Amino acid sequence: MGGAARGTTDGSAAIVVEQLERVYPGGLKAVDGVNLEVAAGEIYGFLGPNGAGKSTTVRILTTLLRPTGGRASVAGYDLVREAPQVRRSIGVALQEAALDPLMTGRELLALQGALHGLKRAEARLRATELLERVDLVAAADRLLGTYSGGMRRRLDLAMALVHRPSVLFLDEPTTGLDPVSRATLWQELKALNDDGTTIFLTTQYLEEAEQLADRVGIIDHGRLVAEGTPQELGRLVGEPGIYVKLVDESQTELARGLLAVHGAVSDRRAGGLTIRTALGARAIAPIVRTLDEGRIELDAVEVEEPTLDDVFLAVTGHPAEEEPQDSAQ
Amino acid sequence: MSEFALERDLATQGRVIVALAQRALRVQLRRAQFLLPSFLLPLLLLAVVASGTSAAQQLPGFPATGSYVGFVVSGTIMQGTLLAGLMAGIAMASDIEGGFFDRLLSAPVHRASLVLGRVLGTSLIGAVQAVLFLSVALLMGADFDGGIGGVLIVIVLAALSASAAAGLGATIALRTGSLSLMQNLFPFVFVLLFTAPAFLPRALLNPMLKSIADWNPLSYVVEGMRAALFDSPALGSVWGGLLAAAGSVLLTCALAVWAMRSRVKA
Repeated sequence: MGGAARGTTDGSAAIVVEQLERVYPGGLKAVDGVNLEVAAGEIYGFLGPNGAGKSTTVRILTTLLRPTGGRASVAGYDLVREAPQVRRSIGVALQEAALDPLMTGRELLALQGALHGLKRAEARLRATELLERVDLVAAADRLLGTYSGGMRRRLDLAMALVHRPSVLFLDEPTTGLDPVSRATLWQELKALNDDGTTIFLTTQYLEEAEQLADRVGIIDHGRLVAEGTPQELGRLVGEPGIYVKLVDESQTELARGLLAVHGAVSDRRAGGLTIRTALGARAIAPIVRTLDEGRIELDAVEVEEPTLDDVFLAVTGHPAEEEPQDSAQ
Repeated sequence: MSEFALERDLATQGRVIVALAQRALRVQLRRAQFLLPSFLLPLLLLAVVASGTSAAQQLPGFPATGSYVGFVVSGTIMQGTLLAGLMAGIAMASDIEGGFFDRLLSAPVHRASLVLGRVLGTSLIGAVQAVLFLSVALLMGADFDGGIGGVLIVIVLAALSASAAAGLGATIALRTGSLSLMQNLFPFVFVLLFTAPAFLPRALLNPMLKSIADWNPLSYVVEGMRAALFDSPALGSVWGGLLAAAGSVLLTCALAVWAMRSRVKA
């Protein structure tokens, strides 16, 4: 069972990656010298647009792909020399919830149990436990072809948990899910983490990383370009912005001109303007005064903390949703 | 590895192979796309060949086997097992393209077990095919002098040839990872079948076909089936058939394991 993982019993890191590199035949460098460390019991968010190298990194860390350079250990085991031990210690849910549509949820969980060395009766018992945990008891004996996207994702997560892994790898676990299914899955991941499971999570959703991750790494063009807690990364952007919502939107351009003396003004948020100044929240009073003197009536004023969107833009020079041309996945 | 650990490991891998074989069987039996070619198509060909070309039995040199259907059913079984092997390859390519294979690879199992699970599942399909096709042949008037013993040997030969075909299908699927390529291999099953004495005795094939048949291991398997069914060494060698089938299983499974290793190292 994965709970006995070497690296998580002595307080050391659950995942250690040093100068990891993967060059595909043809010369494309999908992962380019990545270094990172994930502590046992941590949720690590691995963030980046499509083609940035997220999935390639996960495939390497789950032993599905060999690195062409560098080294890594997971749960205390070397990724290349001790691959079977790594596989015993990890749970994996890859993109798109690859499940066989001609099997039932219960059958798939029992198969996963057998793959992880459980005897028939143990595997059946564990399948029942997990079906209850992910609220799929009623659908347990239906073919997977009849499951919704959210149900498939929950089953995918349950399959990754069959052998009680100490480290869980989730590759874009909520991509394509509706907000309710996404929130349900987040709750389950938080509960798992509360039980001590280390989670390595890739996502394109900045909100997901902010909600779940203790620390976040941002990858772009195969390189780790920033790393830290969401708050630390927020500080890379600078002081928070001030958002002002106007009563009369036709005065927006007038307000923009007046507020330019305080700092950079943008209209990225609908219905108002955001002003970034070196003063941060202390700029509220002068901003309100300026608008008052210009006879522009205010509906609301808010301090706007930097988001990971801002961080991504600040460290990569392009927005998170922009897809690089040399997509590597 | 200690003796205990080795035994425990072998027991675990045994459970893995059985679980994967069960899955292979379930999926094949639940999908008409897999089931129809493996079971229905050979029966249709049996009906067509038995009724349309039975005059071949009048040719000089054709062995005395009672009804013509009794002679050709061995070819039908061979066709079924080849198609079951192709379906196994298609199912594996489908797993690779759909991502399910990655799930199997991320589990702590021997790579060979992933191949052997698929092969075992297909061998059981081969055994079921043999029982079904022989039953239909009996209903169509065949009479087998070899009795139950002969039938059991044919079931074993069918299971082995289905295993060999599954090993070959798995090899191609693992090397290419392409579902569409696997689906396009369908005609090659008939090339293999018609370059073996599936529906005519080897002596009655034209010289070119006969020389190809001499090199085709399926020739020895199909003739071994006939020898067992009719208890007649003149029709072939049971041991030759068993040797050819077992050798093909070893060769194709070794190729599939090699293809698997190449794939995961890439």
